[in-house]
Amino acid sequence: MDPLLVTQALNVLYEVVTLAVIVLGLAIVFGLLGVMNLAHGEFIALGAYVAYVCQSLGLPYLAAVPAAIAACALLALPVERFLIRPLYDRPFDTLLATWGLSLFMRKAIEIGFGGGYKSLKIPVSDSVLVLGAPFPAYRVLLMALCAVLIAALLLWYRRSVAGARVKAMVGNRELAQAVGIRTDRLARDTFVVGLCFAGLAGVMVAPLVSVQPYMGLDYVLRSFFVLVVGGLGSPLGLLSGAAAIGGVESAMSALVDRTAGYSTVLLIAIFFLWRRPHGIFGRS
Amino acid sequence: MSARAFEFEDVTGGYGGSVVVRGLTGAVAAGEALCVLGRNGVGKSTLLRLLHGFLPLARGSVRFAGRDLAGLDPARRTALGVSFAPQERIVFDDLTVRENLMLMRPGRPLAALAPYFARFPRLAERLGQHAGTLSGGERKLLSLVRVLAEDRPVALLDEPAEGVQSESVRQMAALIGERKAAGAAFVIVEQNLELVEALADRYLILDQGRTVQAGDRSTLRRAELVAHLRV
Amino acid sequence: MGSLAVRSAVLLLLLLALPLALGEYWAFQLGLFFLYAIAALGVALCWGQAGFLPLGQALFVGLAAYLSGAALIQWGEAWWVFLLLPFAALAAGALAFLLGLIIFRGRSESGPYFAIITLAISLLAFQVANSWNEVTGGYNGMKGIPGLPGLEGFSDVYYLAAVALACAVALCGWLVQAPLGTLWRAIALNERRVAYFGYDTAMLKAIAFGLSGVLAGIAGALYAPQQGLVTPELVGFALSADLVIWVAVGGRKRVLGPVLGVVLVGILSAELRERTYYWDLIVAAGFVFVVLYASGGIGALLAPLERLLPGRRKALEPLRAPAPKAPRTAVTLAIEGVSAAAGEVRILDRLSLAIARPGIYCLIGPNGAGKTSTFNMLTGELRAQAGEVRLDGDTLSKPTPYRLARRGVGRKFQIPSVFGELSIDENLRIALWSGRTSLLDWLRPAPRRWDTPVLAALRGRYPFLDDGARLASALSHGERQVLELSMALVTEPRLLLLDEPCAGLSGEETAQVMAVIRWARDTLGLSVVIIEHDMALVKQLAEHVFVLHQGRLLAEGDVAAIRSDPRVHEVYVGAAE
Repeated sequence: MDPLLVTQALNVLYEVVTLAVIVLGLAIVFGLLGVMNLAHGEFIALGAYVAYVCQSLGLPYLAAVPAAIAACALLALPVERFLIRPLYDRPFDTLLATWGLSLFMRKAIEIGFGGGYKSLKIPVSDSVLVLGAPFPAYRVLLMALCAVLIAALLLWYRRSVAGARVKAMVGNRELAQAVGIRTDRLARDTFVVGLCFAGLAGVMVAPLVSVQPYMGLDYVLRSFFVLVVGGLGSPLGLLSGAAAIGGVESAMSALVDRTAGYSTVLLIAIFFLWRRPHGIFGRS
Repeated sequence: MSARAFEFEDVTGGYGGSVVVRGLTGAVAAGEALCVLGRNGVGKSTLLRLLHGFLPLARGSVRFAGRDLAGLDPARRTALGVSFAPQERIVFDDLTVRENLMLMRPGRPLAALAPYFARFPRLAERLGQHAGTLSGGERKLLSLVRVLAEDRPVALLDEPAEGVQSESVRQMAALIGERKAAGAAFVIVEQNLELVEALADRYLILDQGRTVQAGDRSTLRRAELVAHLRV
Repeated sequence: MGSLAVRSAVLLLLLLALPLALGEYWAFQLGLFFLYAIAALGVALCWGQAGFLPLGQALFVGLAAYLSGAALIQWGEAWWVFLLLPFAALAAGALAFLLGLIIFRGRSESGPYFAIITLAISLLAFQVANSWNEVTGGYNGMKGIPGLPGLEGFSDVYYLAAVALACAVALCGWLVQAPLGTLWRAIALNERRVAYFGYDTAMLKAIAFGLSGVLAGIAGALYAPQQGLVTPELVGFALSADLVIWVAVGGRKRVLGPVLGVVLVGILSAELRERTYYWDLIVAAGFVFVVLYASGGIGALLAPLERLLPGRRKALEPLRAPAPKAPRTAVTLAIEGVSAAAGEVRILDRLSLAIARPGIYCLIGPNGAGKTSTFNMLTGELRAQAGEVRLDGDTLSKPTPYRLARRGVGRKFQIPSVFGELSIDENLRIALWSGRTSLLDWLRPAPRRWDTPVLAALRGRYPFLDDGARLASALSHGERQVLELSMALVTEPRLLLLDEPCAGLSGEETAQVMAVIRWARDTLGLSVVIIEHDMALVKQLAEHVFVLHQGRLLAEGDVAAIRSDPRVHEVYVGAAE
């Protein structure tokens, strides 16, 4: 096979898979719980900065994983208690409150780390041959990890008791309470898990992107678009949305330029928001 | 006089500031069933929702085994020992029949539910199906089995037999009767007179949110029930 | 309206006097922030009044700025270039109106999705402005924009901005008090209910959005000559975001709120941002605080002060309202063979019933018989898959609450849905205006004084309705039921659909409502269809009863006939036996 074509295909695949992992946290928080968390991107940034700190301290890169999860969980608990829970039946205000939170977090990161770009050393720096084309090893590793993570999560959601209880709560909250599920606790735990996934995604992509205080903005918007286009509350929706948005953007960026890529994504998102807000696979 | 498993007094309340039911009082001991009757719209479901904490009480009290349930949310009441089967949206549509039954007791083997499947083989056939694809009557069966399998001292049932074929209604009555014999107490909202006559130890008839007649088995007369249910 | 003129004049004088106190430097700074305040007023109009939030308002500011900049560069010397600036603002407003119409007609509720759509559109505009070098100057922007002819120095530009701001405040003050403002606030509370009164809510919201676009456009049109430079940043997310924060903190419901927000937060930010890192954190935290606990913003704190200002409203002399535009003849309704399903479930199954004469009809039947679904089918919430409905002989296709209301069909829901945060008077007026007003009427103050014999009679029966300034949310449940019934009657419908009008009422209140229904039938000659479970009520009120069962008409007749019908007995008791 033509190595150039393989490389391009791998690039697209890489974009789609990493996009899916970035959206994963919001798919849990917004797709399942219906919470419009505009601070999602900032939790990804938090994960990335934790990774930076760990690397600066000379720790092995894997140490960043539990550190980021701990940081996000610690922050997520008071956020859930004071911002999200009081606003459960006011989705609009949730949007605004989480946006205020994102402003706060962005500025806090800027104050703490300065406004410039931080670059991290890539943990695995060689390149491997995939179908005859050279491709950075870390990216391959990342894609594999992302695929495993998503598959594991989907399997857990389908098969586990906890996953069934979340499904029950999301589908029929009153009956869930009637059978004895403590829905506010379950919602809180689900929310925290969602934000921890955001932090994890941050750790994973940190070596490959520019780590700066405003990195979250891009991620949160893209994540919303993926969910709107793909459909809320459905694993298939997450994957198809990531494929659609990620695929279209990388294709357009390669064919024309980045602006065209982003603009096309915006147009698609606008169309779905207007006409089909439940997306391809969501329920209306 | 056996100890009251579940009792409510002067229960008054409704939705968002309106008063739908007023001054309702009743009690049931272990092994007994209290049936609540009345036409549609008189407040029977509202009463049950008030009893289980889905709606706030404007006045009155609800007690389980002597303990006042005021301020406890529905999940807590269930954990304490009161099961609840609603009238609408009665099963988890997105979960399979098996998941519906095992949700809260995942460790229990399916074999423990064999007696129920013996009476309702249709459910056993549909274990792997999503509950949302079941017919209305099958959903009622699943809802009842779910509640009974919870094995709690008290169960509040909202029209368990609505839309269920008479043969299955007989099975339902037999099952509930067995659980009564084992000591469980029931508060059942029901319009199906066959079920009521088979199970009621006491009854309440409601009209426009108030009790118009109450009594026990000895005063249960079909003609009077009919008079209250008809137009 | 006199008080509005007085207050605006006071504001203008204050604004004009400021530079004398503060000096030239501040004149320049403030001038820019006055322009932002004008744009913020537009955001507050949409958000605080009509209940939807535009998150990309800078799009309209930037559009007008580019247009005005281009015009000034081309024709900057000519005196008539002044006239082009309003056109730039109107162009922005027209775009906003069109976008609003398209978006609101395509979706039935505003909510968070509208906010994100406007955000996405503004981001798209930023991309365009950033790359379209030939027209917008691309990344570097449109440079070298001359000032307005005849205006020298910073002070002159300041005065122009101050006058523009005072006019914008006056305009918003007028809109808020006009019937249009009342309608917007009702839409923010319960849009569906407003549609049921026959208002085109999508159009109303689009008008709000369009006006906000004009205001943003005024800001943009004046921005270009003031700054001399227009860059894509102007269209970008930062200004849109700032506008929302200023409006939230300043207060979105009071007219002066956005101005306060811009002045306090905006100017403080400009000064303090350099001095301390922590300022932005404080603003963000303050914003979150306002969203959680103080949605009225700073403006809400000033509410008591407003009462001290001159111009208390005098008692209004009532005016006779015009007659409703809907036809006044008795209605005939024919439902033939209508079937409707939701998925597998048959909700209506070849339902056929007819109403040929005015009178009181009751619709009864067991749970799930399809009673409320029949109403929903008539007003368009449930789509029929087969059969036909004829209203006055005309086939009704694709009904919507709005269209039905225009033909004289009114509906009252089981749970009272009056507009809680509006006063009793405002609630009644919304009902009164329906079917009698057009766009121009919504801008005049006169319709606020309208009265009709029906309304006067209802006020006579229910004295609590006279306490017009009282908020509807302060009423008891029973009073709310009565208010909503009164609102339905005030529209003078020909066909009134009542869903359990006496739910939750005491015996006495029920008797009163029954008396009003009978009175309405006698005075207005209307047909009333009541869904009821209370058989005592049915026996006393109904002239004709329809019994529904499993989506079909089981039996009909007067009460005695129904009571003795064995099929009805079977349904109510037989299934139980």
